[in-house]
Amino acid sequence: MPPPLRIVIAEDAAIMRDGLTQTLTRRGHDVVAAVADAAALRQAVDTHLPDVAVIDVRMPPTHTDEGLRAAQSIHADHPQVGVLVFSQYIETQSAAELFAGAPGGVGYLLKDRVADVSEFIEAISRVANGGTVLDPEVVRQLLRASRRGDSLATLTPREREVLSLLAQGRSNNAIADTLVISPRVVEKHVASIFAKLGLAPSDNDNRRVIAALKYLDS
Amino acid sequence: MSRSGGQLPAPRADAYPGRVPDMLGWLRRHPWQADGLLALLLVALSYRQWQGDHPAAVATVSVLLAATVVPRRRYPVAAFAVAAAIGAVQIAIGVQPAGGPAQSDVGPLLGAALQPTVADAAILVLLYTLAAHRSRRVSITGLVICLVGAAAAVVRWAPAHTAHSGGAIFAAAVGLGGATLTAWVLGDSVAYRYRRVYYASLEERAARLEAERDAQARIARAAERARELEERRARVVDESAARLRRIERDLHDGAQVRLAALAMTLGEIKESLDTAGDADGGAGEEAAGRADDRARMRMLVAAAHRNAKETLVELRDLARGIHPPALDRGLGAALASVAKTSPVPVGLEVIITQRPSPAIEAIAYFCAAELLANVAKHSGASRAAIRVSEQDGRLLMTATDDGTGEAHLTPGGGLAGLLERVQTVDGRLGIDSPAGGPTVITIELPDHA
Repeated sequence: MPPPLRIVIAEDAAIMRDGLTQTLTRRGHDVVAAVADAAALRQAVDTHLPDVAVIDVRMPPTHTDEGLRAAQSIHADHPQVGVLVFSQYIETQSAAELFAGAPGGVGYLLKDRVADVSEFIEAISRVANGGTVLDPEVVRQLLRASRRGDSLATLTPREREVLSLLAQGRSNNAIADTLVISPRVVEKHVASIFAKLGLAPSDNDNRRVIAALKYLDS
Repeated sequence: MSRSGGQLPAPRADAYPGRVPDMLGWLRRHPWQADGLLALLLVALSYRQWQGDHPAAVATVSVLLAATVVPRRRYPVAAFAVAAAIGAVQIAIGVQPAGGPAQSDVGPLLGAALQPTVADAAILVLLYTLAAHRSRRVSITGLVICLVGAAAAVVRWAPAHTAHSGGAIFAAAVGLGGATLTAWVLGDSVAYRYRRVYYASLEERAARLEAERDAQARIARAAERARELEERRARVVDESAARLRRIERDLHDGAQVRLAALAMTLGEIKESLDTAGDADGGAGEEAAGRADDRARMRMLVAAAHRNAKETLVELRDLARGIHPPALDRGLGAALASVAKTSPVPVGLEVIITQRPSPAIEAIAYFCAAELLANVAKHSGASRAAIRVSEQDGRLLMTATDDGTGEAHLTPGGGLAGLLERVQTVDGRLGIDSPAGGPTVITIELPDHA
């Protein structure tokens, strides 16, 4: 059982706010505040300095990108507070903005992901612990639209799978578990991917996510 | 509009057959020369009467009389007045021609000079002119003057001393009066014809003006109606854009979030069934039955969970099609997000100083997305560019790619769909796509519907 996390939730839909609070509480975490707009979020974060804030992108008053802006400013003011932004829609553009100034403690997920409860909570704790989480859908879009189609084409299907999981912020062990292969094989794949794409190898999960993102998005 | 003032129109030349109209036409086109010829004719006819004691004086007065016909068309009243005045003086002090009794005591020269000649026919010509070209009131005044003059002339030179005086006076009166009346009637009938033509033309013009006014009123009504319809359409387009956005937001705040919460609950149930699965074992048929039930339930919950997740995806695609949420951050940001997901590299340039109305933004966005999808699917291009700018209050969007070209409108095709979208707000779509490329699609939209 991992240590309980202190969590702030910002979500304007009561049904989702309450559902998340109950679920997280049931799993032994401490939801220190559950608020409905960006201003209250700022206040709650400043007051409680939680391990992580789970933030909906669209909130009152304008229902556009309040959550995204709030996450960026929280991250700037309190780098130790993880921010997991989740949204009904995901935009590659928003992901790029969110990850641009953040070496870690940042996550960006589709709201759908709450359906797989354990995975979602796992993502929250990864962000709380300074990790990086990127929605597979964003990664899929990035891979599809990448200008680096030629070099990506040199990857084997297995290497593409590894790259996709790596870009989502998974550690080598997590990738090994997901693909049911040994961590040593994952390491080999990662080295091969970085060599083929001409990226500097990095053991830091966050840094290699950023590198992969930059590579795909440039 | 008032082209022909109070003047009567010129008679038509084609009323006469053959070569005659040529000559008459020439005379009509040259009134001064024609009347000059007439004056010469009068002078020539009066030539035989230049005799007696003072032929030069007779000739002078004859020529003066004849000369009055020259300006008859330009100054009919003045010319008539001059000729009539000469005639009056002739009656007052003139001598009878051809050696008649000289009763004047003004002096032999003046009396002889003012004897009546053939040139006095000028007075009749001028009466005719008056009747033809001036109003009835003026011409009847002229007629009365001439008749009075004729009567005076008859009385003045009545051969009172001759035997058959009664008959001669009667004949002279009938002759002079008849000639005068004839001149007037001829002139008046010409005037009548002129007037009829003139009135007909007036009527025709009035009818034409009325028709023109009617047409103008209809055009004005149509323009008014068009403006009204344009305003109404703009309202409808704006309202429908606002309504679509509201629907999307309702979906977002309602169905989507409820479904996500439901999926989360199903996920929890599924996970607790999975972990609790083999906890309470047991033996015997009862335990086996319970295990079957549990397996069935796990299957059902898993199916419900999967369905909920798939429905979330469908619902998201549906909502995104209703109103692209990216547009909430402005056209530039929305286009950047479209460009980012394009497999073909897209250069994006958005230079606009003020945001178009939401309806226009949505049309521009959907057009850009469709065009880029076309580029990726059909063009074989290695790069594309989208450029958005303002021009005279209109939004100009050009999509360029270096593909193989030959993009064209096909019924039911992507471009036809764009054209339809663009036309709902009177926008324009231009396609320039020669074989071998490059393709340039231009879309022009008003800044509001």
